[in-house]
Amino acid sequence: MSNSKIEPLDLRMALLQAQTRRHFLRTLGSGLGTLFVGTSMAKYDSVANDAGRREAASLDFTRDAASPLAALPPQFAAKVRRVIYLHMAGAPSQLELFEHKPELKRLDGQDCPASFLAGKRFAFISGVPKLLASQYPFHQVGQSGQWISDRLPFLEKQVDDLCFIKSMRTDQFNHAPAQLLVQTGNARLGYASFGSWVLYGLGTENQNLPGFIVLLSGGKSPDGGKQLWSSGFLPSVYQGVQCRSHGEPVLYLDNPPGVSRPLRRTMLDAIDQINQQTYAAFGNPETVTRIAQYEMAFRMQMDATDAMDIRKEPASVRAMYGSKPGEASFANNCLVARRLAERGVRFIQLYHWGWDSHGADAKEALNLGFTDRCREVDQPTAALLADLKERGMLEDTLVVWGGEFGRTPMRENRNGQEMKYVGRDHNPGAFTIWMAGGGVKPGMTHGQTDEMGYEIVKDPVEIRDLHATMLYLLGFDHHKLNYSFQGLEQKLTSVKPARVVAEILA
Amino acid sequence: MTVWGHRISGQFRLGLLALVPILSVLVLLLLLPPDGNERAEWAQFIGRFHPLAVHFPIALILLVPILELAGLNYRFSYLRLSARFVLGLATLGATVAAILGWCLARSGGHSGSLVTQHMWGGISLAAVCWLCWILRARASERRLGLMYAAALATSIVLVSWTGYRGGQLSRGEDHLTEHMPARLRQALGLSNGGPASSLSAGADTFYGERVEPIFAARCVKCHGAEKHRANLRLDSYRSLMRGGKDGPVVRAGNVQGSDLFRRITLPPGHDDFMPKGGKRPLSADQVKLIELWIGAGASDTLPADAIKDAPAGSATVAAEVTFEQIDAAAVTKLRAGVAATVAQLQKRFPNILDYESRGSAHLLLNASILGPKFGDKDLAALAPLAEHITLADFSHTAITDGSAGAIAAMKRLRVLRLMHTRITDTTVLGLDNLDQLESLSVFGTPVTAAALPAIARLPKLAHCYAGQTAIPPGISVPEGLIGKLVF
Repeated sequence: MSNSKIEPLDLRMALLQAQTRRHFLRTLGSGLGTLFVGTSMAKYDSVANDAGRREAASLDFTRDAASPLAALPPQFAAKVRRVIYLHMAGAPSQLELFEHKPELKRLDGQDCPASFLAGKRFAFISGVPKLLASQYPFHQVGQSGQWISDRLPFLEKQVDDLCFIKSMRTDQFNHAPAQLLVQTGNARLGYASFGSWVLYGLGTENQNLPGFIVLLSGGKSPDGGKQLWSSGFLPSVYQGVQCRSHGEPVLYLDNPPGVSRPLRRTMLDAIDQINQQTYAAFGNPETVTRIAQYEMAFRMQMDATDAMDIRKEPASVRAMYGSKPGEASFANNCLVARRLAERGVRFIQLYHWGWDSHGADAKEALNLGFTDRCREVDQPTAALLADLKERGMLEDTLVVWGGEFGRTPMRENRNGQEMKYVGRDHNPGAFTIWMAGGGVKPGMTHGQTDEMGYEIVKDPVEIRDLHATMLYLLGFDHHKLNYSFQGLEQKLTSVKPARVVAEILA
Repeated sequence: MTVWGHRISGQFRLGLLALVPILSVLVLLLLLPPDGNERAEWAQFIGRFHPLAVHFPIALILLVPILELAGLNYRFSYLRLSARFVLGLATLGATVAAILGWCLARSGGHSGSLVTQHMWGGISLAAVCWLCWILRARASERRLGLMYAAALATSIVLVSWTGYRGGQLSRGEDHLTEHMPARLRQALGLSNGGPASSLSAGADTFYGERVEPIFAARCVKCHGAEKHRANLRLDSYRSLMRGGKDGPVVRAGNVQGSDLFRRITLPPGHDDFMPKGGKRPLSADQVKLIELWIGAGASDTLPADAIKDAPAGSATVAAEVTFEQIDAAAVTKLRAGVAATVAQLQKRFPNILDYESRGSAHLLLNASILGPKFGDKDLAALAPLAEHITLADFSHTAITDGSAGAIAAMKRLRVLRLMHTRITDTTVLGLDNLDQLESLSVFGTPVTAAALPAIARLPKLAHCYAGQTAIPPGISVPEGLIGKLVF
């Protein structure tokens, strides 16, 4: 920026110059006392916290105020340079997709054992529900011999590129908090999302596009709402930017009729000057964020429209994804995701809503709506993987697919009665996700659930372990990617110890 | 008695007096040996001064031969007069150190071969010192003079050996050789890894094949031959079944009653949890194996395949991830040669040229972000850094075969992306000396099959992405490229 530089140092200098001899004398007494207490207490502080501090010591993420998204190198050489996270909002049933449980099939329709119900809370199940076998046949595919249901005929061709974690666990059994936990590391509002952390830590190579882009499909926003891509306590310049699949990618991005690009520039320069004055007066970093956002929007006018325009792809590629320009579909979003990945966008987050298969109506039924969801995501997901692989980009892109929790091996019986459609209730105790791409072992399965797919019997992976693992792949020690807020070195993995799942690392 | 005899007996009495504490330590060692249990606070408190106190006798003993040898020269002959006094002090010091050592070993929960060896070394040293001190009085006699020299030599050997053992106790087995340069290590015939664990049990038994490897991998560092924490050793079946200071840890057939099983299955934060100190818990498979083995009678003769549904998972698990620490000074040194050039070129190419990591001097270049705005001239500007670039992405840029030389100069390249550029076979044929290249993308370029032999010669290449080129999918490729060409 051409305008005069604003430094917090200037503010401090101004404050110091305003100090008089009287100020000095007034604070002298207490000042000396504070000095003594400070130095003598520092000793205790360092003894108590030395180990913890060393562990928590943050890396330096300071940047020039005018370019808060400037790229920074990772802590150590990273396998992954960008993430495409396919969040299946509503929690798809692992038992209809990846968890082959012959024992559950044998016990189909029988009363659920009391041991399954003791001490458990369910969203809707009441009384004694019946066990429910998978609604679809399973078969083994690929070199890895992974069991998969017949609902994902396209994805099964890529199965040897996938690394399954079948022992994911969460402590939230409602959608919004569970989605928040998956995306921000905390079930409550106000925490920074995964994408924001990554953007904060690594910045972005392409300053003409947001570094963290969110694309929605499935007809509804995820239950967690825009908090899922919030920057929380991090400066808001790191929040996700939600883009649309048709029309302007970002609302009001284009110039209104009658406004030319040079005119827009003149206007922005004027706004900039006012903002600079505001910053000089109050020193609020959010003002800098605002200036940076205006500038980025101006640059985005050219590049974002181009990046989001899937009509520029050859018809064969569009056919591979099954995409039809103009829709807010998962297929279009997958294709856009690849185009964004090519353009250096650091974190691309897709949400596809509609996996909450309770069986309360046809859309939520495992035998109806669920099949539609599978059809909507199967081909584009497989195409995205194939496309990235073909270009060599899967080497340093991490693709993650999963929901926010799992589903019960029992059939849902809302109000204790058999329902018209077949569905399953929420199960936070076990669910399946998969990853593909840089740094993870392809064609493997980590963790295992019991014969019903109800509880984990081997190698449980907490959400924070998943986060620590992903950050490791991105080149960070999850302790070191932190931010001081409310007296705590805040981090994505929060305060409980998290483990990098070393078993799945390639 | 003669005058001479009287003098001797006077010294002798003093000598005997000095022997009393030495003998009493010996008695203590024999009657109350260190047994791995923790005891009284006082003894432990006093014992903690042992590492401090040992340095006095060490220095004093090493001083004696210096005094004696230097005294041989007439200019320093006065030094010999102090030798006896120093020896007396050394004897006293060694005795005190031995007593403190006993306090520490007896009360601090130490036991094991290291401790025993160190202990006997220490007490022998005190005795030899005493002997030197006695002999020194009559060292002018030739016979005794030889004996004195021999005793003094013994004390030097003993002090070195005991000191080394003590160092191993406090700093670890390999505290001296840990950072020995690999070449010297090789020349001395030392192994590179830690102590090799030798398994004792029969190879085809369930215990020997499935259970003992778990203990060997996860437990014997603290409960093994060298250290027996809580007096428990898990390095042999016999010692495992004997148990530790609180009695047996495994009760055959009684899984829940076995303290070992209880401790490995507690919540990891629990005080009694094992392995202690924030170490990774045993894996579910490992716990299951131990559970099954105890349940089946905890025998060492049970055949390896006796338990049907034992988890197949081997005892060896993926190593835990360690996070690289960054030493700012070392990084500055590492980057000294390039830092100025990098900083200068980063002004021209902001955000797309940076170090691979915060601890590295290697560079990543992502010119694809600039697209057609990046051409041969820009690439030429990066020439001073060519040898430091390990990843270069030129996808969608305007570079042409004019850059062939500039790319070929990037000798350290691991990843090279030329997707959707105008480069042709000319550039690819020039990549011959990129012997670090692992991944090459020529996706969407006019590259033809004529480039394949050159690509096949790249020694480390794992993948070549050749979709949408003039290379037809399914073409028969040179031997070095089989399975590496991706379409």
